[in-house]
Amino acid sequence: MHSLSVRRAAVLGTVALLGFAGAAALGSTPAYAKANSQVSVVHGIPGQPVDVYVNGKKTVPDFQPGKVAGPLSLPAGEYDIALTKPGEAIGSALLKVDNAEVPGDANISLVAHLNAEGRPALTPFVNDTSRVGAGKARLIVRHAAAAPAVDIRAGGEPVFEGVTNGKEGKADVDAGTVSADVVLAGSDTRVLGPADLDLKEGTATVVYAIGSAEDKTLDIVSQTIDGLHSAPGGVPSGDGGRADGNSTLPWYGAGAVGILLALLGLTRLATGRR
Amino acid sequence: MIIRRGALSLVALGVALAVAAGIGACRSQPAADFGAPVATTPPATVKKPTIRDGALPKAGPVDAPARLRIPALDLDATVDAVGIDAKTGDFAVPPSVDRVGWYRYGPGFAADAGSIVVAGHVDSAAEGKGAFFRLGGLKAGDAVTLTGPDGRERKFEVVARERYRKTAVPLDRYFARDGAARLTLITCGGPFDAATRHYRDNVVVTAAAVEEAR
Repeated sequence: MHSLSVRRAAVLGTVALLGFAGAAALGSTPAYAKANSQVSVVHGIPGQPVDVYVNGKKTVPDFQPGKVAGPLSLPAGEYDIALTKPGEAIGSALLKVDNAEVPGDANISLVAHLNAEGRPALTPFVNDTSRVGAGKARLIVRHAAAAPAVDIRAGGEPVFEGVTNGKEGKADVDAGTVSADVVLAGSDTRVLGPADLDLKEGTATVVYAIGSAEDKTLDIVSQTIDGLHSAPGGVPSGDGGRADGNSTLPWYGAGAVGILLALLGLTRLATGRR
Repeated sequence: MIIRRGALSLVALGVALAVAAGIGACRSQPAADFGAPVATTPPATVKKPTIRDGALPKAGPVDAPARLRIPALDLDATVDAVGIDAKTGDFAVPPSVDRVGWYRYGPGFAADAGSIVVAGHVDSAAEGKGAFFRLGGLKAGDAVTLTGPDGRERKFEVVARERYRKTAVPLDRYFARDGAARLTLITCGGPFDAATRHYRDNVVVTAAAVEEAR
């Protein structure tokens, strides 16, 4: 009975991955062999532990909802991904995506979640792992719940508006703690939070809204990607000029006086002898 | 004879002065750079897929050093935890020249990897000589001690001193968060431009951790 949604998920997933692959190919990356991609798997389907199969091999056994597995280092290529109930045969998979294309040299989150209609889906997101400025952190919020469009607010102010299932909002902000909540788009009707987000400098914090509004299982899963820091622009640490290294001039002056004196003495010697 | 003796002493005085001046000129040159900062590349590790809880990240304890002691410079300075100057994007070195600043976004007091960065003023127009006025005079093997938030001490030993034009200083290396645990001390140096009131160079001293934090 899931066949339709599974096929749709497969098509969507493959199309999305192909899109990302195309985008990566058009980017500045050279044509020679690409580095492996880092693939994390995020479990955002409440109440359903699964076994994760990659190319028919059980890769993450008994994967619990709300957990994040990985990153797996995968060479670019096509992968068959399947989720089964723990211990069940791959033939009776809950969710299956064949020939999902993984581009090279990317950081990807593969998210098992409910789509807007409440059916299981597998959605790949490419994570922006470009460097953040010194003192900054990246906040990425992804809608992966069976729920309508939402606004994400920080400190009461909307930062991402009208985010729908399968979409994300992203911003680089000052590192530190912000209080965030999720409301139905354009309203003050809170569906999640408020929660304190500790945005660590030099990292990307990815927050997923998961579950189902109808079943009252909305929840949050988060993932942190570190190592995105930059060095400060400079280290200005003096404006007095007292430490100027150019203090050799007086010594050269004294040396010159010494040489003149010696020459004068030699001249006197020479003239005195005559 | 009198003329001859006077002339001889004049020659002697002149030569002595020239030699002394030569030595003085040589000694007043900034000392040459030495050493290389501790390796920054971590050993390759094979990552197994790990399962982590998707709970929201919590702010960890801040591992801020409290004091910096360098006996060779008679220095014992308060360390402030500082970040980035929002206006300039630069390291927010504490304005008071007696204090030095620890980069709070990077590795902390007990870090087992990466560069713990402490920067201080060489001097300031308003307050005169700074805590790091003589930083460039440190030699290989000089001891540097950090005191942690709870009074513990961690010892380091100078392994490198480098001077770079500010336009070329490899800050990514000095602010790396991986590689061997090390302490990086940064100040200004080189020729001073009186018009812009900036020094041309940064002086960077790297000290390797000699024992684990106790």
